[in-house]
Amino acid sequence: MKDSCSSVSKLLEKYFDHEATEEERSFVEAHLPGCPNCQDALNMMAGLRDMMKNPVEEAVEKEDFPWVWQKIERGIRLEEKPPWWESLRSWLDISFLLKRRVWIPAVATIAILILIVAPILFKKTPSYSGPSVVEYIESQNYNVMIYESEKAKVTVIWLFEGPEQEVPSS
Amino acid sequence: MNHEENDLISRCQQGDQDALKEIFNLYQKKVYRIAYGVVRQREEAFDIVQEVFIKLFRSIQNFKGKSHFYTYLYRMAMNTAIDHTRKMKKSPAISLNEDGSFEPSDGVEKRPDSLLLDKELEERVKQALEKLPVDQKAAFIFREVEGLSYGEIAEAMGCSIGTVMSRLHYGRKRMQEFLKDYIRLGGGK
Repeated sequence: MKDSCSSVSKLLEKYFDHEATEEERSFVEAHLPGCPNCQDALNMMAGLRDMMKNPVEEAVEKEDFPWVWQKIERGIRLEEKPPWWESLRSWLDISFLLKRRVWIPAVATIAILILIVAPILFKKTPSYSGPSVVEYIESQNYNVMIYESEKAKVTVIWLFEGPEQEVPSS
Repeated sequence: MNHEENDLISRCQQGDQDALKEIFNLYQKKVYRIAYGVVRQREEAFDIVQEVFIKLFRSIQNFKGKSHFYTYLYRMAMNTAIDHTRKMKKSPAISLNEDGSFEPSDGVEKRPDSLLLDKELEERVKQALEKLPVDQKAAFIFREVEGLSYGEIAEAMGCSIGTVMSRLHYGRKRMQEFLKDYIRLGGGK
């Protein structure tokens, strides 16, 4: 390695990256033809760059991007969609009803419906369930059946004619 | 930053998706280049592009115009790509055997020899990149793949030009060590 090699090697990367000043470039270019080491270093950098860059450029050339945009749009839409708990909260949120006073006719309608339907649904039908007493009394002329319901305080008495006497045939 | 781009950015900041689409059309290839440069894999690179533009739409309010928009976007793309490689590290799709030989994972179609070699080479590059410290990797990709100047890299990374040169120098050195058996001297394919 020549004496100037160490000072050139510091500039070599700047030279390779086109970042060297005019003066630095002249200095490097004057040194390079007689220095295989610096030439190798430069070639190594060029080889590495090609190895990094060429496959990327080939990949970019082959690609079609519109479908990527569609995926991005879909991704943004999904992000804009609120999480399920937010949806549930907004679904349950009735504050807008209170603000807009649309609830007045709705409540009135419901109240009228209740007034109409409730008597039908809750109409009481008499029922005489509960403890009761049934008695049956036989007599010669009449039979009597008595039904007494304690709960409803109702007493029903049936009176039956007695059984017809069988007339012996002559 | 030109007037037209300024207008697009402010529209996008107001939630205009058409403006985002125009920004996407302007920068899609550049972002893809950075993403592919880091992950060296098509599908993953597209996932990153998608993620970057969704992130951009969500956070473009934070862009105050103090730097160039493209350096802001490049930084976002690089950070997203590096985060992605961290996540994917545990589930590699292509593996190298213990002896270092390459073998496609199950379901990967067998390729002609030349393509297989290209794949193997790409896998080597990917592994070498994974071994680089994040800052060196970012500087290296910005320069070697996207061709940014030292000044642009410094702006994208929020550091000085001297720091960029240092990161680039050590990044190159390491990559050369990892890939010395594969580099074709002088470049060219």
